[in-house]
Amino acid sequence: MTSDLRKTAPPPLAPVEFDIPQPHHETLANGLRVVIFEDERLPLVSLRLAFYTGDINDPDESVGIGSAIASMLTEGTEKYTSFQLAEKIERLGAGLSSSASDDFTVVSASCLSLYSSEVLTLLAEVVLRPTFPAEELDLYKRNTVEHLKFQRSQPGFLAGEQAARLIFGIHPYSRVSPKAADIEKLDRQSLIRRHAETFVPNDAVLVAIGDIRRDEFLAELRDYFGEWQTGAKQKSEFRGLPARNSRSLTVVDRPGSAQSNIVLANLSIERDHPDYFPLIVMNQVLGAGASSRVFMNLREEKGYTYGAYTRLDSKRLAGSFEATAEVRTAVTGDSLKEFFYELNRIRETKVGDEELRDAKEFLTGVFPLRAETQEGLTNLVMNQHLYSLPENYLQTYRENINKITAEDVQRVANVHVRPDETAIVLVGDAEQVLPQVRDYADTLEVFDTEGKQQDESKYAATSANELADAAGKWELKIIFQGQNLPVSLTLKQDGAAISGELDTMLGKGTIADGTINGNKISATARAEMQGQSVEFVIAGKLENDAMSGTITTPMVPNPLPFTGNRDCTAQKSAA
Amino acid sequence: MSHSFNLPPLAIEEYRLANGLRVVLNLDVRVPVISVAVYYNVGSRNEREGRTGFAHLFEHMMFQGSENVPKAGHFQYIMKAGGTMNGTTSSERTNYYETLPASQLPLALWLESDRMRSLAVTQENLDNQREAVKEEKRLRYDNQPYGQIFDLINEMIYKNFANSHSTIGSMDHLDDATVEDVQEFFRIYYAPNNAVLVISGVFEAMTVRELVETYFGDIASQPLPAELDVSEPPEVAANYKEWEDKLAPFPAFLIGWKIPPRRTPEFNALYLAGKVLYEGDSSRLYQKLVKGEESVIQLFGFTDERRGPSSIFVGAIPKPEEDLSAIREIIMEEIHDLSVHGPTTAEMEKIENQLVNDTVRMRQGSLSRAQQIAEFTLYDGDPSLVNRELDELLAVKADQVRLAAAHYLNTDNRALLDVVPAGKG
Repeated sequence: MTSDLRKTAPPPLAPVEFDIPQPHHETLANGLRVVIFEDERLPLVSLRLAFYTGDINDPDESVGIGSAIASMLTEGTEKYTSFQLAEKIERLGAGLSSSASDDFTVVSASCLSLYSSEVLTLLAEVVLRPTFPAEELDLYKRNTVEHLKFQRSQPGFLAGEQAARLIFGIHPYSRVSPKAADIEKLDRQSLIRRHAETFVPNDAVLVAIGDIRRDEFLAELRDYFGEWQTGAKQKSEFRGLPARNSRSLTVVDRPGSAQSNIVLANLSIERDHPDYFPLIVMNQVLGAGASSRVFMNLREEKGYTYGAYTRLDSKRLAGSFEATAEVRTAVTGDSLKEFFYELNRIRETKVGDEELRDAKEFLTGVFPLRAETQEGLTNLVMNQHLYSLPENYLQTYRENINKITAEDVQRVANVHVRPDETAIVLVGDAEQVLPQVRDYADTLEVFDTEGKQQDESKYAATSANELADAAGKWELKIIFQGQNLPVSLTLKQDGAAISGELDTMLGKGTIADGTINGNKISATARAEMQGQSVEFVIAGKLENDAMSGTITTPMVPNPLPFTGNRDCTAQKSAA
Repeated sequence: MSHSFNLPPLAIEEYRLANGLRVVLNLDVRVPVISVAVYYNVGSRNEREGRTGFAHLFEHMMFQGSENVPKAGHFQYIMKAGGTMNGTTSSERTNYYETLPASQLPLALWLESDRMRSLAVTQENLDNQREAVKEEKRLRYDNQPYGQIFDLINEMIYKNFANSHSTIGSMDHLDDATVEDVQEFFRIYYAPNNAVLVISGVFEAMTVRELVETYFGDIASQPLPAELDVSEPPEVAANYKEWEDKLAPFPAFLIGWKIPPRRTPEFNALYLAGKVLYEGDSSRLYQKLVKGEESVIQLFGFTDERRGPSSIFVGAIPKPEEDLSAIREIIMEEIHDLSVHGPTTAEMEKIENQLVNDTVRMRQGSLSRAQQIAEFTLYDGDPSLVNRELDELLAVKADQVRLAAAHYLNTDNRALLDVVPAGKG
């Protein structure tokens, strides 16, 4: 083809219409609502049974019980042991699992349609007749306690934990995870009691999609779930959500972090709020995807991060709006600057026509893609029911997106994006990070990775403009086995970022991502030595033209102390 | 049961353009969606020493614009058409794919052909993507507990450099990369005759052939890269290594074995052996270690499928006070048992049903169909294997599983990586 034709994007072909298939609705005598999609395209079936009870409904004296019940459903029933259940399900090549989220508890099953009756029987068995065997509960408790310890090693968890605490306060949405003491308190009798209270058919919905005949399926449902007794619905009455009126800074000190995890969090709307549609369009422009503003800025223009996003998480009663990125330590402060620039820009300036159209076209176009698999269609239908959205929600979704104007976007940005009330959460090396970010909020609190608050005065309140000057050539001596080994460092400094070279008798190394904090320098030099990549971790303190500290390398077991001076004659040419 | 189960084959139409580009069409009218997958026959296996991480850096460069598509325009065009897209790099290949409303097929072909023809390799793009890759490495590997163990164990399993080095590569090597290096890499590997194009979903056959010819037909072919030697001696490169992980809260270990290439009868038998050992709550090791002994917090296992020598792994994060060697002994006892008695009839029935279920479920999505077809076309030269792979796996007999376990797993020829938490700095 000629190059002229290649110059512009081709127009689409004639559109192929797609209508979300119409389901069949039914309510059983005991109040269980049933939604059935007959879909014969492939010999598969997906089932999902959801209860309107989640982790937030856990009574104060038994936090964690909802998740424990969900996990324990498949660990023993009146008829089968844990192993027998696993064996029966897996022998059919099927899946059966259950979990609780903040608002809901969902039991899911999927199988070849050939086995749908067997799997439906097993679903009924675990939902109606779990026995919560004592030894299985003990194992669950021990494993969960270990898991709670494990998740503290993950920076994303630590950031999420603080963000939820800061924006949800004493509301149960602030609990992203129970505490070990909560888990240890759980006992079999309370699980049995709580299961009986919360697993009631009139507080649940079942979605079935796949190669099934509606009448046969309903007949089976009545057989397996007909005896299930109606009960009282759970009430959702919770403590209030906190009002925020200033910006706060919370740092989780994770020494040795290679990056800082940034979360900028605000309280936001519940899922059925009237601003939901304008807000997801706003979020699409601002940060939901790889062509949104914060990604284009922090990753594509600045190269600070692998990904930067904003996220609206609308739950049943409230929500959160967060901007997140994992950035290299030296640009933590710069990243905050760019984030706040974007958060302010979307409030102050109306989005352009093209940007708005692009966001809307993404949201409407991607919609049918989400219905491609049974799992995808089940998600769409399930959410509609769980969040009590209108009957025609899926049918009118695209229309509701297309209605949004630039004025709507700016209005909701001003209402719901609130940079001045943001909770800034950073997980990273506090000593490196604090001088860069201290000025972004009036209040500061520091925690360790165990969640214990630290004395923030321990972290010298130096600010970014009091950095020592490290640029130049440094002649250092390492003390190794009683000998002085000469090493030279040639450093360049750009703000808090340090780069340069390490020169030893054994070879040269490159420093790409060092940082300086006050008068403390930390950097890693990577060198090729005898075909191997060797790391030298440098931790030093500067006093004018003198430097002292340690160099650590895997080649020797202990850190090597060093001292030395700046070679002032070489400084000009090196810097 | 599988013998009475009749799964209709996927519709496969295959042809080749004059410039050598292999094209496979998979018509499927269920949902008006189209997936386009372009697989290039280049992965980390093609990297030479001193230039590791190149294949993956290149994957980033492919989103930086081409003659008619501005920098980052790829994301934007796809997203505003209501599509999703990505690219990934493995040892074997680099892939790019997008899923769109069916009417947007021309857009996908325009975008993929423009970058195949005329990628914009500039210093600015290179510098910027090098930084993004470094952050990706920090995020996925350096800043995660246990983040580096799979790269480490590959170095212990494989002796051949092509197989042993990591896909993310060395940051020093990336710093050394020049614009000329990247241009040369593009010329050699991103040629139409070194790629496969698969289109799956709703389309009109005549239209799609015309569009493919229009957009890809005049991209020049290139001399194919030299044959690659990925051969390996049977022995692993190293039996034991201890790794100090600053971020790991608990000790852990990973055992890796070197096994024959994908789709060989031995590999297939070992894939089934893996399912018996570690897949699902009814698997042997889960029942022994997580349940019976209650000694393990997390147990995992998987096979790494390659065209050359491949590998299989079993790993565990034991509870803090547990004796790691006792746990490893249990794993080896189970492997020994499997290599003496083979899988039980019940286990074989379970595997059969799981294989059928996985195969049918995979067929739901246009993207997963396109990806599977692309792999069979690129690796085996035969897209119709997507319809026969299930039969190949179902044909594996219990005794073949036993023999493969005996020969490849029940042996000291394995790599053991011990992860030691190195505490806080």
